[in-house]
Amino acid sequence: MSLSAWLELLASGLITGGIYALVALGLNLQYGLMRILNIAHGEFLMLGAYMTWVAVTQWGLSAPLMLPVSFGVLMLLGLAIHWFCFRRLSSTSPSLDIFEARGLMLAFGLMFLVQNYASWMWGGELRGYDFLADPVAIGASQFAGNKLLIFALAIAFSLGLIVMLRMTLLGKAVRALMQSPVGAQLVGINTRRLHPLMFGIGMGLSGLAGCLLSMAYTISPAMGEPYTVTALIVITLGGFGSMTGALLGGLFLGIVEAIGMHFTNPSLKALLSYLVFITVLLVRPKGLFSR
Amino acid sequence: MNGRQALMRDILVLVGLIGWALVLPHYGSEFAVSMGLTCLMYVALSSSWGLFCGSTRYLSLATSAFFGVGAYTTAIGLGQLAWIEVIVLGSCIAGLLAIVMGAAVLHLRGTYFAVLTFGMAELVRHAISYFEKSVSGTVGRVLSVVPEMSVLYLTVLAIAIVSLVLSIVVRRTRFGLALIGIGADEQRAQTLGVNTRLIKITGFAMTAAVAGAVGAAMAVRWTYIDPHTAFNPFIGFQTVLIALIGGAMTLWGPLIAAIVFSILAETLRLQAPQIYMMSLGLLLILSVLYLPGGLASLRWETFRDWWRGTGAWVKDRRYELSGDKERDKQRARRRRIV
Amino acid sequence: MRFGGLTAVDRVSVNFYPGELVGIIGPNGAGKTTFFNTISGVLRPSSGKLLVAGRNLTGQRPHRYAQRGLARTFQTPRVFSDLPVISNIEFGLKFAGRRRRKYWLWGDETTVPWALRDARGILSLIGLSQVAELPAAAITPSQQRLLEIGMALATRPKMLLLDEVAAGLTEGELEEMARLITRLRDELDLVVVWIEHAVGTLLRYVDRVVVLHQGQKIADGTPTQIIRDPNVIEAYLGDEVLDLGEENR
Repeated sequence: MSLSAWLELLASGLITGGIYALVALGLNLQYGLMRILNIAHGEFLMLGAYMTWVAVTQWGLSAPLMLPVSFGVLMLLGLAIHWFCFRRLSSTSPSLDIFEARGLMLAFGLMFLVQNYASWMWGGELRGYDFLADPVAIGASQFAGNKLLIFALAIAFSLGLIVMLRMTLLGKAVRALMQSPVGAQLVGINTRRLHPLMFGIGMGLSGLAGCLLSMAYTISPAMGEPYTVTALIVITLGGFGSMTGALLGGLFLGIVEAIGMHFTNPSLKALLSYLVFITVLLVRPKGLFSR
Repeated sequence: MNGRQALMRDILVLVGLIGWALVLPHYGSEFAVSMGLTCLMYVALSSSWGLFCGSTRYLSLATSAFFGVGAYTTAIGLGQLAWIEVIVLGSCIAGLLAIVMGAAVLHLRGTYFAVLTFGMAELVRHAISYFEKSVSGTVGRVLSVVPEMSVLYLTVLAIAIVSLVLSIVVRRTRFGLALIGIGADEQRAQTLGVNTRLIKITGFAMTAAVAGAVGAAMAVRWTYIDPHTAFNPFIGFQTVLIALIGGAMTLWGPLIAAIVFSILAETLRLQAPQIYMMSLGLLLILSVLYLPGGLASLRWETFRDWWRGTGAWVKDRRYELSGDKERDKQRARRRRIV
Repeated sequence: MRFGGLTAVDRVSVNFYPGELVGIIGPNGAGKTTFFNTISGVLRPSSGKLLVAGRNLTGQRPHRYAQRGLARTFQTPRVFSDLPVISNIEFGLKFAGRRRRKYWLWGDETTVPWALRDARGILSLIGLSQVAELPAAAITPSQQRLLEIGMALATRPKMLLLDEVAAGLTEGELEEMARLITRLRDELDLVVVWIEHAVGTLLRYVDRVVVLHQGQKIADGTPTQIIRDPNVIEAYLGDEVLDLGEENR
């Protein structure tokens, strides 16, 4: 296989990987900080995608404009969900394991609710719109313009989040909370404000990812589930709670999928991801990139 | 209520259920029988799920894999084997699948386990789908030789009875106690002598065997089987939902919930399927938040507590909004400074 | 026993003899809990062997340890909170504590000490008979600690590992606990290994003391011997141990 063909393969893997990383970062934030395994994460991605689609096709707005909007709306939604649901759960659960289990069931219910709401509201057919679909040439390879943009933005946002977590005071507070919930509270870090905020940001990120996805791919109410599963796989690969791990894991998984799909059968994509998942969990349960 | 009385009550309810189920086909319309069939199916599925997953708190989302495996056993084998043989075979294969899955995955913590079982169920679905397409060259299979509706009904009833009897019996044995111990504090149970690995795999295999039998039986309801219908994840989800809302740890919770939801399902599903599913999701959320023990844990005290809780909440809001809270805070601050 | 780059317990080798009451002490971070977790099967040792009555139990899972007669308590009482106190005790009896009955399925169990014959017996031994029917979450923490010991006894052990059972008890409660422990050792012919911070009380009751410091065994002998051991004095900076030395003389 020629070099340019390899590069195209790698690049397409990286592009999907970038989205995976973005979604995984959001999920990681929620689980690493609050032990809430939001199995409905993909559904909010789907909401972001649909919101953008509605805005573009029915109100004629430009897609990139919807980026901050989808982030904002979903962040508010996340705040609301945390306030009404998870807060009560954390005050009534007798132990952390029970809280995790109940959180999982709650997210399960949310998944049902949101997915079927979308299906009821917008119907089950595939939808989409065109945006920057012309190919762009880089070197000897050709890429679709919108996919390049998606990749660039996804990486930019992911790096932005990681930088924020490392450099800003807020980020340091979050990381402190992740490492030691009690210790962080003792030095004055306000969990009551930080938890909903981070939950909201996590959801906002998935909405953002959905908006990005809608620019280049078709959307449907069921599109969210595969991304949830992939995000979970990525977090497991990268190690729960590790942000850079999620980023690297996402890119890695994207590449593995692209290569796997090329050399075997495209319909084996799901099979492949699950196999990777299960193997990693069995061999290195703490993640590939954890210390 | 001591042990013997509880046993009497359980047997009475079981007998009542059997009686009602046997009478229904003679007096009910075809719609009612169909609803009864769905109900019995979910009774079997959710009570066996609850037996293992309710006690041990390992939430398995793999039910659809076992169901589908059973269904495919029927699809492939019904021509050559007898009805009973196909059911038993489907059950055994599902059980074996569970043993393999369990050995790989049961040593992980609860949330990991839930996600992994879901992943493995999807894996099985994709694997069978791929296998069928490339090796057998078919997308789906048609069931040509199909037993009568009455045979199907009685078989599913029998499976439901087995599942319930299993629940009643296991809860009273050492095995059931071990399951509860694992759910309460797994490491502690280990240090007290419970071979947790063996117990977990056995319990998981039991759930799978029942699900496989149900799948094998229900396959004849749809004359055309393809991976999408046989491994429909919704079946697994609905089982979990029913068991959780009914009260996974109890014996009769899943039964009550199965009846309620079968009625809801059959009436709503054709007109507004999404509304039905949305309400399922909403009900699960409400139940996790306000009634974690499920419907079966509903007591008069629960209503009283809810009433009191709402009253206290209203009082708090009034206190805050009228400004009294602010005034009290100021007063306290002033006193502290003095 | 290594955790990543940290050697928590470094080549500590101890022998335990039947009927002994052994105390394990050491300043904070000495590796006592890790040592404990390793010998009770919760952690798998990175190197070394564990022999119980000649049987090699290294690397086996915790339930095997329980079945071979090694019972332990946990520092923070881990009881089954929803079950009543008596069911907590019965749990151990039904699993690791099962013994062959005289006539296969009924009759008295053979080779079981009288005090451990059934749940009620164990409850009266540890002094919790009056709260037998209460859920385990409803009893006080010091009662829960007694329940922990009871649950361990229900497995009919040959060796009982006690992890800081005296933490947070008053002087009087401490004396009672120590008396209970010696009573267990006497009546049930057990080996009792007791890890503790409250060095004073422990030294009064044990036959033998093992002292750990920074992962290594620095002393192993009778209480009077180790009080005078210069390594031990240095490790503890002298205060508490020297005071005791004054008392015992």
